[in-house]
Amino acid sequence: MNKLKIWDFITWVCIGLVLAVLLLVIGHVVVSGIRFINLKFIVETTSNAGRSGGIRNVISATIYLTLSALLLAVPVSIAAAIYLQEYARKGRLLNILVSGIETLAGVPSIVFGLFGFNIFVTLLGWSWSLVSGAITLALMGLPILTRTIMEAIRAVPRSYRDASLALGAGQWTTIVRVVLPAAFSGIITGIILSMGRIIGETAAVFLTFGSTLNSISSIFDSGRTMPVHVYILSSESVSIDNAYATATILLVVIIALNGLAYLYQGITKKRG
Amino acid sequence: MNDIQIRIRDLNFYYGEFQALYGINADIERKAVTALIGPSGCGKSTFLRCINRMNDTIDNTLVEGLLEVNDENIYSAGLDVTELRKKIGMVFQRPNPFPMSIYDNVAYGPRVHGIKNKAKLDELVQKSLEQAHLWVEVKDRLYKNALGLSGGQQQRLVIARSLAVEPEILLMDEPTSALDPIATAKLEDLVQKLAKEYTVIIVTHNMQQAARVSTKTAFFLNGYLIEMDETSKIFTAPKDQRTEDYITGRFG
Ligand SMILES: Nc1ncnc2c1ncn2[C@@H]1O[C@H](COP(=O)(O)OP(=O)(O)OP(=O)(O)O)[C@@H](O)[C@H]1O
Ligand SMILES: [Mg+2]
Repeated sequence: MNKLKIWDFITWVCIGLVLAVLLLVIGHVVVSGIRFINLKFIVETTSNAGRSGGIRNVISATIYLTLSALLLAVPVSIAAAIYLQEYARKGRLLNILVSGIETLAGVPSIVFGLFGFNIFVTLLGWSWSLVSGAITLALMGLPILTRTIMEAIRAVPRSYRDASLALGAGQWTTIVRVVLPAAFSGIITGIILSMGRIIGETAAVFLTFGSTLNSISSIFDSGRTMPVHVYILSSESVSIDNAYATATILLVVIIALNGLAYLYQGITKKRG
Repeated sequence: MNDIQIRIRDLNFYYGEFQALYGINADIERKAVTALIGPSGCGKSTFLRCINRMNDTIDNTLVEGLLEVNDENIYSAGLDVTELRKKIGMVFQRPNPFPMSIYDNVAYGPRVHGIKNKAKLDELVQKSLEQAHLWVEVKDRLYKNALGLSGGQQQRLVIARSLAVEPEILLMDEPTSALDPIATAKLEDLVQKLAKEYTVIIVTHNMQQAARVSTKTAFFLNGYLIEMDETSKIFTAPKDQRTEDYITGRFG
């Protein structure tokens, strides 16, 4: 066997291993959880601390928190991305800013959680609540969102901007009418992917949104998201079965979101 | 009426430290076709982009000297660049329609400049597409994506898009370089027709094209405007040896 073939072989073995592990994990969770999932599990609220009943309140808390965080993070990151990509003067300062954003994107979520806990929960006195959680998650999501939106804007060909400017459109008009529409699919993909990350977040949510099994009726209510539910059910041995069932639903949602992002990009690429 | 629409005096242009144009003097006639020729990198595009101030969009550039359009200094402080670019259309080397429908492409300029009336827009779109000799080919697919058109059609589309803002001057930077011979012939034909109503400045690497479509030709070399004259004179009896060397293919 020559060198190339050996490397090919090793590469394939590694890819196979990764896939096998991934399938094993997903398979294990789904096999252990799917038995306990039925309509009742989705539409009923938790009872007996999660030992029985469904997880409707957990699902809705997850949705509330995720959407609120996105609602805060998306406009801010679009604005930041437009500024950094289109207006800021190229140079040292911009480079420092961008690498700062990249560093922030790599900061472990627990650090954001700690910050959110100290500032929003304690200092501002908002306690464990939707506001505290949503702002914390928005801050956590901002760097990556900004970065992906910047990339989407950067990918818009210069020739589009030139054409628009040469027709007498101003810079802002050009951004709104040409650049953002052309970057739309990239922006949407970025939002969907970061949505997956926000949904799956556990530590920072636990510290800022809390873990009460309430139904949320105001922004100062605390709640329990799916990952936190899984964590508590399993770590406190409340109900391993329901932990697996919740984890299965969580997995399906996240895989669906990633698939959606992938499909969406495929469709828009084909359309040109 | 003044025959000279664009007057250029001692124009220098810099990309940062690098000087791309040296002391250009030229008079460009109204409603005529002026061709710009010269070897690659000699500054033709740079010169063209000075006229509609598209060089402003590049960081760290500097213009010196005088550039008047209709007797108005276009680099004077109070000048409205939007108005200037409305008056001066530009066609780029590669066709660059927006990823929108054919209709929206042509209506883009008028909409940006505040025309909302549907009937007026319809009329402008049709008129511009007719002027660009594209109407017949696209009238049944106006709402289809413009990126589905052929290269030659796209180039005529972007010309229609420029015409829709009713400019006085059209700047064309090698508009046929991405086209096949048939599409090129159509476009040359179009350029000559447009010159009845518009002032056209066209950059080309193709000597025959310059000879066919233009009335005046300017030869650029290394950032200098070497010679500018009637096209027939440039191609039969150039005054400068370098012009002769270039058009006879001895260099460049
Ligand atoms: N954005 C820019 N930044 C720095 N230098 C530039 C820039 N654009 C052009 N130049 C330089 O300016 C000079 C003139 O370029 P220009 O594009 O005007 O040439 P051209 O005559 O249009 O060439 P071509 O026939 O290849 O299109 C070249 O030396 C080029 O490298
Ligand atoms: Mg050029």
